[in-house]
Amino acid sequence: MANTLKSQGSTLGAIRPAQSGPGAMTIAIGALRLLFIVVIIVFTLFPVLWIVSAAINPAGSMSSQTFIPQGVDSVDDMLVNVRALLEDPQVPFWTWVLNSLVVSSITTVLTLAISALSAYSFSRFRFAGRRQLLVTILLIQVFPNLLAMVALYLLLLQIGPYIPFLGLNQHGGLILLYLGGAMGVNTWLMKGFFDTIPRDIDESAMVDGATHWQTFVQLIFPLVRPVMAVVAILAFVGTLNEFVLARIILQDREKWTLMVGLFNFVEAEFSNDWGKFAAGALMAATPVVILYISLQKYIVGGLTQGAVKG
Amino acid sequence: MSAAAAPMESTRRTSSSTSPLELGFRLLIIGLVCAIAFWLAFNIFRDGNVFLAVSLVVIALGVTVINLRPELWPLRWMTPGLAAIALLAVYPILYTVYVAFTNYGTGHRHTKEQSIALMGNEKFLSEGGTSYQWAAMANAAGEFALWLRDGQGGTFFAQPGQPLRAVPVDQAGTLNEDGIPTSFDGYNLLERREFAQALRELQTITFGDAANPVGIRSRTEAGAFEQRWIFDSAQNAMVNQETGAVYPADESRGSFVAADGTEAPLGYWVPIGLNNFTRIFNDIGISGPLVRVFLWTIAFAFFSVITSFALGLGMALLLDKAFPGVRILKSLLIIPYAIPGMISILIWRGMLNENVGIISTSMQNWFGWSPPFATDPFWAKFAILLVNLWLSYPYFMLICSGALQSIPGSIYEAADVDGANSWTKFWKLTLPLLLVAVGPLLIASFTYNFNNFLLIEALFKGGPAMVGTAAPPVGHTDNLISYTYRFAFGTGGRQDYGFASAIAIVIFFIVGGLTLFQFRFTKRLEEMGEGG
Repeated sequence: MANTLKSQGSTLGAIRPAQSGPGAMTIAIGALRLLFIVVIIVFTLFPVLWIVSAAINPAGSMSSQTFIPQGVDSVDDMLVNVRALLEDPQVPFWTWVLNSLVVSSITTVLTLAISALSAYSFSRFRFAGRRQLLVTILLIQVFPNLLAMVALYLLLLQIGPYIPFLGLNQHGGLILLYLGGAMGVNTWLMKGFFDTIPRDIDESAMVDGATHWQTFVQLIFPLVRPVMAVVAILAFVGTLNEFVLARIILQDREKWTLMVGLFNFVEAEFSNDWGKFAAGALMAATPVVILYISLQKYIVGGLTQGAVKG
Repeated sequence: MSAAAAPMESTRRTSSSTSPLELGFRLLIIGLVCAIAFWLAFNIFRDGNVFLAVSLVVIALGVTVINLRPELWPLRWMTPGLAAIALLAVYPILYTVYVAFTNYGTGHRHTKEQSIALMGNEKFLSEGGTSYQWAAMANAAGEFALWLRDGQGGTFFAQPGQPLRAVPVDQAGTLNEDGIPTSFDGYNLLERREFAQALRELQTITFGDAANPVGIRSRTEAGAFEQRWIFDSAQNAMVNQETGAVYPADESRGSFVAADGTEAPLGYWVPIGLNNFTRIFNDIGISGPLVRVFLWTIAFAFFSVITSFALGLGMALLLDKAFPGVRILKSLLIIPYAIPGMISILIWRGMLNENVGIISTSMQNWFGWSPPFATDPFWAKFAILLVNLWLSYPYFMLICSGALQSIPGSIYEAADVDGANSWTKFWKLTLPLLLVAVGPLLIASFTYNFNNFLLIEALFKGGPAMVGTAAPPVGHTDNLISYTYRFAFGTGGRQDYGFASAIAIVIFFIVGGLTLFQFRFTKRLEEMGEGG
């Protein structure tokens, strides 16, 4: 791979008029490359640092923000915005966090159950229309679900009077809607992984008289834990970050998820509440970022697996 | 094919060896699911939504068939997933298709009967009816009531939503010089100053109950309300009782239209055939905003993918060489990808703020000029692409890093033997090999951005506005999905859900086509066909 890198570099050099000696040229290219990397690093990290700076800036408004926060003499000064946010009666921050965790956890567990069962079936059983069903499931998911939203909204509106916990403004209703997307991509991801597990394992178990269910629970399930973990993380973070459906379904402030809460809070008084928004954004994003970075190897593996294999 | 035969055998074994206990358990579950579904369907049917009720019944029957027909046993494992997809993905799509052939939207939200009933609630103050002299009273909670005196000297106390109470003057307590009680039942007569302040609000209130509503006609006179719209089934028309104008029903448009072309306030929901679709193509034909929106949608998705892929690949190549700290650097660079998208976009919205955002203020300080991100179409589009580059290049950097490592080094050695220079090697070897692995993800990314609503809506709300377009307002950075959203949930007061559904279906065909193309591209279909 170093090969490719070198070739890229010398290519860049070849286009430039080679007036100076090869040594100077290599240095110039090295410098250019370094400059490019630095520019991209600044571009990438500046917004992140900016929001951290805004979060600990006691001034709290956008216009008075400086990159190095002014007037920070102690940890106490840094927490001015955090405290303002948590003490704001309009912002039940911890309720939102709890709501988000509840909705995401339940959605994740149900998604795993639904997609693992389907993936096992697609991977192990042969039946008429199997291919078509797999493709159809994925095609259905690309329908712009923003537009399906009116139908989904009316669905909860009509179910609500009879099964209250599945109605509008209910976490149960929101979770129900999220399950519509449970099967698509996740089933594909899992099926790919299930396929890599030799079928001999199942067959020998069945010769011993095990049913499909016993084989699945006792033999296959322990073997597919890595892909289950990937799907679980993707589903959990995906649900945690989902915002459009949640905003339409959850109406009461007390029911909002963290994303809906932060957005509505920002909509009201953006530039004046900038510091409070920054504090909230930082608190909401940090756990997710840590989760992602520490598990990036598995997540990327899960995302690329199918593609790289093809 | 031999691999497929073995499970088929076990099929028979499994289904024939079903124990009575297992069967009983299965029947119990199916019975429970069906009972709940049918009960729900019955109630929803009674509420008037036939479409949803039928869907529920069909899904329940599907669950039953899958779990009772022996040859469908592989599908049993998918029952929960298939039921979820049927109710939450297929039903909404069918509903949208159905709506796309109707005029559903503002003013056409109800059936004809419902609209007639709703319009029947509209009242007007008839000139000819009973009239009263009136005085206003208010209680401690700030609620208003009226003291009324009709032509025959009868006096009444009127509160909103309650029947008029006939109260003879001699039972009304202390009277003022005009013969009006100064207080009654907790309500006090308004002073002159209070009266002046309350007059505007008083005019909007309907006093008395639905059977006998009373409103204020002038400063001195109150009168009975009468129903404005009465449906005349002989003419199939609504008649305005105040003006006497006749509004015959136009069944093809779902509106009540008078001879002079004016429409009654409510129409109704009717099938209008392909009108919504022809409207899309007419709009494109006359180069309405839809053409520009469509072109920008494609351009946005295309440039987003190209720029993020190029930068991601570039950084993957540059950081491929091991140097101290490269791992940490890579981890830091994927932070944008890890931050919840909505939060990132709001951070950028703050930084791009034209008045106090850091980018504008710094550029003003350094160059005395800053790009008008929120007001100039070019700079708004530029900003959107820049933010999307920031959001998505780390993803491609990750993917490319992984894919580059899977290209065997021997290929390059062979190329070296053939005397290929590095430029050729990149274009002829690295890129094509990379595209095989990353190509499907590029297409997936294109379809994702084709439907990217969050970025467009949360950054500039589609703005800056296009001048001279009809409602709903269209912005220069609106893409198809956000434009459609404005039609469906329009903030401009007018919602045209039928038209929005028609656009959604067109989008579905474009994106679905791309997805199918992606399948061909990866040859996944063939792979599966071979029993993979």
